[in-house]
Amino acid sequence: MNGKIEVEHLSKTFKKGDVRAVKDVSFQVEEGEFFAFLGPNGAGKSTTVQILTTLINATGGKALVAGHDVIKEPEEVRRYIGVALQETGVDPDLTGRELLELQASIFGFDKSGAKERAEQLLGIVQLTKDGNRRVGNYSGGMRRRLDLALTLVNEPKILFLDEPTTGLDPSNRMAIWKELRRLNEENGTTIFLTTQYLEEADSLAHRISIINAGEIVATGTPKELKAQIGNDLITMTFKSNEDLTRAEHKLVEKMGENEVIQQNGRLTVYVEDGAKQLLEVVRVLDEENIQVESVNLTSPTLDDIFLKITSEQKEEE
Amino acid sequence: MGNGVWKDTWLITGRNIKTTLRNPFSVIPNLIISAFFLLVYEAGLSGIADLPTFNGANYLAFILPVSIVSAAIGGAGGAGQGIVKDIENGFFSRLLLTPASRLAIVLGPIIAGMLQLLVQTILIICVGFLLGLKVETGFLGILFVLLIAIGWGLAFAGYSAGVALRTKNAQASQSGTLIFFPLIFLSTTFVPYELLDAQWLKIAATINPTTYIFESMRSVLIDGWVFWEMMQGVIAIVVVCTITITFAAVSAKKAVSRG
Repeated sequence: MNGKIEVEHLSKTFKKGDVRAVKDVSFQVEEGEFFAFLGPNGAGKSTTVQILTTLINATGGKALVAGHDVIKEPEEVRRYIGVALQETGVDPDLTGRELLELQASIFGFDKSGAKERAEQLLGIVQLTKDGNRRVGNYSGGMRRRLDLALTLVNEPKILFLDEPTTGLDPSNRMAIWKELRRLNEENGTTIFLTTQYLEEADSLAHRISIINAGEIVATGTPKELKAQIGNDLITMTFKSNEDLTRAEHKLVEKMGENEVIQQNGRLTVYVEDGAKQLLEVVRVLDEENIQVESVNLTSPTLDDIFLKITSEQKEEE
Repeated sequence: MGNGVWKDTWLITGRNIKTTLRNPFSVIPNLIISAFFLLVYEAGLSGIADLPTFNGANYLAFILPVSIVSAAIGGAGGAGQGIVKDIENGFFSRLLLTPASRLAIVLGPIIAGMLQLLVQTILIICVGFLLGLKVETGFLGILFVLLIAIGWGLAFAGYSAGVALRTKNAQASQSGTLIFFPLIFLSTTFVPYELLDAQWLKIAATINPTTYIFESMRSVLIDGWVFWEMMQGVIAIVVVCTITITFAAVSAKKAVSRG
């Protein structure tokens, strides 16, 4: 048993509609690492989590979680992992405390051990005073926190979290982030997190894989990923749509198709040396007599990387 | 870490019982309907017990099995409803993610459904006694009736759990209980077989396993210990349970398998 996740050539094709949700995905997560799977809706994040947590079988490839094969030894895998799925798994008719005690008993705690563990976890997710209320009366944020507590009952070596903060208000989101950081730093728990939020991956994860349309399109530390697309970004807005179109056309001609992206009326150019190339860009626009409204020179955020990679993919298709 | 199948089944059954107790309105209507049946059939139809075919039998004892079986079929539907609810609110997945025995995850709601049924049947029999029920075989006869009721309930719990696991949909598993009507009413529901008038109804009653359940209960309530009369109910239960539990097991395997 170890705290690693090792995935080789993992694929999943759903029979219904012949959908290839995950295509030949390989990656490795080290013990104690905080790893994020970043991608839009339908990218294959949840399917990957379901395979790695033994809920569904892969149609190809191999995955070891905590040193055990998810297909051949699912019982072993379940002992060492904690899983919070996108939809919380709580029974509204029980109280938070009862649910935690039941979960602990299923994991083999005796009666007093289960009581103790439940009390402890209620404290950790700050639900001690709501522990005896039925879950049906909890708010969305409280349910999420209880769901997280349920995943921690067996002191998992590896924690899987499928979009744990989607739909949460900022204060609940912060509470969950804080707890995840603590688990990773203090207990050395390996964390596999999926998210659509770039800032979430950026602020929490040591390493990120960007997944789109069932494939991993980039992997690295947040810093590496940012460097991968160039050092600087030039972002512009224009007086009219006509100017925008003409500018895009000209700049693509000059800088190459992959370096220019248009989104929501803004044009972004990815460049190596911003200070030098800014002048060049302005000169091109000036020659064409294009009316610029604003120009900004910035360092890339994960949002920019994400946008660039997914738009490159669209062009290939 | 981890428990055996029995400990897991015990834990999950306990949780299902708790859930049922906290939703009394999932049980009470069914119970009232069954008691209502008993009351109106006794009040409206007991006169026909004067017919010679009845051999002087007490109509209350004759109609009691109908009330018990209708409660059993309705109540057994609860097992399926419980599973669908768990699937919908994600708790089913939460259980699948634990090392709990897969068998226990499916057996828990079925056993809880059985126990619920046992309590219902006892209450209905109590209502029967209040109305003046007399039982030929006494206390042991009542135990036999309870046993048959549970067996028949198990057959239906298997059926409703199977439908629930297959469709994962509350409406579908609700409409699955429509089978209730032909089973209860295409039988020797109100009068003995000899008094059934239409030929098609006689054929339906012969095929319908519920007929044998009614007859075996009636035999101990009215006639006394007649081995073969009792056995027909037991055989019907074994046959139907074999079919529905297999159906539930296959559906469960599909639902918890990871295809």
